[in-house]
Amino acid sequence: MDWTAIRLLYLSELRAALRERAVLINGILIPLLMYPLMMWVMFSGILFVTARFESFASRVEIAGLPAEHRSLLERLEEDEGRVEITEVEAQAGTAAAAYREDVENRLLAAELDAALIFETTVDPPGNAEVLLLSNGSSDQSQAARGRLERALSAERSAWLDRIAEEHGLDGAEWQVFEVRSNNLATGRQMGQFLMGMMIPLFFVIMIANGCVYPAIDSTAGERERNTWETTSTLATRRIHVVTAKYLYVATMGLVAGALNAAAMVVSFRSFLGPLLGRLGGGDGSGFAFELPMTSLPVLLLTAVLLGALIAAAMMILAAFARTFKEGQSMVTPVILLVILPVMVLNDPSMEFTPALAGIPVVNVVLLLRQAIAGNVLWLQLGITVLANAAAIAACLWLASRILRVEEIATGSFEGNLFQFLRQHWRPAGGKA
Amino acid sequence: MSTVQVEVEGLSKNFFDPSRGEVRAVQEVNFECRGSEIFGLLGANGAGKTTTLRMISTVLQPTAGTARVLGHDVASDPVEVRRNLGFYSASTALYPRLTARETLTLFARVNKYPAERTRSRVEEMIERFGLGDYAGARIEKLSSGMKQKVSIARTVVHDPPVLIFDEPTVGLDVLNALDLQKAIQELRDDGKAILFSTHIMSEAERLCDRIAIIDKGRIRACDDLEGLRAATSQHYLEDIFVHYVTGDNTTE
Repeated sequence: MDWTAIRLLYLSELRAALRERAVLINGILIPLLMYPLMMWVMFSGILFVTARFESFASRVEIAGLPAEHRSLLERLEEDEGRVEITEVEAQAGTAAAAYREDVENRLLAAELDAALIFETTVDPPGNAEVLLLSNGSSDQSQAARGRLERALSAERSAWLDRIAEEHGLDGAEWQVFEVRSNNLATGRQMGQFLMGMMIPLFFVIMIANGCVYPAIDSTAGERERNTWETTSTLATRRIHVVTAKYLYVATMGLVAGALNAAAMVVSFRSFLGPLLGRLGGGDGSGFAFELPMTSLPVLLLTAVLLGALIAAAMMILAAFARTFKEGQSMVTPVILLVILPVMVLNDPSMEFTPALAGIPVVNVVLLLRQAIAGNVLWLQLGITVLANAAAIAACLWLASRILRVEEIATGSFEGNLFQFLRQHWRPAGGKA
Repeated sequence: MSTVQVEVEGLSKNFFDPSRGEVRAVQEVNFECRGSEIFGLLGANGAGKTTTLRMISTVLQPTAGTARVLGHDVASDPVEVRRNLGFYSASTALYPRLTARETLTLFARVNKYPAERTRSRVEEMIERFGLGDYAGARIEKLSSGMKQKVSIARTVVHDPPVLIFDEPTVGLDVLNALDLQKAIQELRDDGKAILFSTHIMSEAERLCDRIAIIDKGRIRACDDLEGLRAATSQHYLEDIFVHYVTGDNTTE
């Protein structure tokens, strides 16, 4: 191999690519900025909506509030803040039905945000069946409902404790069927789980995205610009030219994937962590988004494997394109072929078995997920490397066979990969 | 007399065209070209000039026959052929996002010009073709005339003994065409063997030391201008050309 020529051509391709706006946008800016931007927008949006909810003054009507639950009013005013309460007497019989209809009409007309109706009261005093009415199509009504639910729940617990105490029972005795939950996962483990679900998926998408433009640019783009003939007159073997182009496409994919993974980790830590904390009512310490050090070499390895495989597959298809537009339509199936299994298999319960390690792309995603969780499965890692290396070798072999055909190299072949295979190979493998 | 640099024997090329079937673009072409010689291929559009030159430059593979550049066979030793050859065509474009200097450096290095002398050679080419003010500009920003100069510099930067110019003046204005012709004559004077294709009679008459008239993929005649005049009793090359392509005089 003439590595000097390969290096010179590779560097020229990279230099030219980095001066092309589309390459910079697709290969560097989108992977780097998309997720921080997306999460910042999401974070800001959720904060905005939450603040808006909190700023609503809820108009609430409470009918038939028993004396034992007067403390509910205090809870609503003290704990929930902006609540405008209207109290009405309990209704009975036909008056009750008419009242309820009136409340429903006022809720639907947005004259009222929520209503609590204490419908029946049986012994012991304070025991009640409460109807909470709201309008699910109104933000304001939803906010009011939330405030009432929280206050009611607190009121109910306090009342039950009081009743139990009056009967000489403590909480553990009367709550004989008590459910207590305890999340054993640390914040770091929960963060790793979430990253393991999301990073591999977007990692694959971004590597594919990073390869698309360079793959088309270095094949169909050369034909469209009439530079293919110029390249053909260089004093090096065609396989060296193709190798340089292939390395360039794979590099762009690798860079896009690595930048994307780094940007995602930063986005998780800077935006998603605080956001999850805020939504959960905590201080953001529930999730810790930290990648284990062992995952970094695996991340790099998977970026190399995926970049190399996707670049090879895309170049095979793009080799048939004579124009950029043709190239775009030809490489689209590769993107789908890569993304679909990843999305289908994005199931957290899926075990990374040695058999799955034999399936290219899927194995990389599962390997990466395990690595993010802090597990390195050496057997599966070995099988993954071998399986992908075999797939890459097969793609490169096919690419070299294809580019040996003069009609393909000169762009005079009219058709795609499948038409080419039909014309040039018999089932036994001989050239037709 | 200079040594033979390019030898072409029985060179043929067939294409398959879905609408026309098997097309015999070039049929058993024979000629040779020596150092310090401009050998012209004169023919109408579609006569087979470009296909012949593309086979010699190894862009296309011959269906039959051989071509050798400094003894290197185009089929079995294409890299050595390309190392000893500079190929210029009006349809051969430059890499738009590289600068003129980067383009020349790339072609010098990949075409095996000695690494330690590449920088000075590139600067020499920039000086010779008047590219100084534009050497650092991207090709896509240059005018057509400047692009053409970069193309010629790119063709000769690795100092190959054989040069191919395939209809180089197509699309150029008169002044740029004359500049190019002057550059080609200087290269011939430097000892290069030059294969030059054209369909413009005056250009062939002015530049070429020997002319091969090609029609329908076959060479109909091959000689210097005086020889062609003597053989046809015609004075003007245009009349000589018409004589061969409308008659039945085949020279192989």
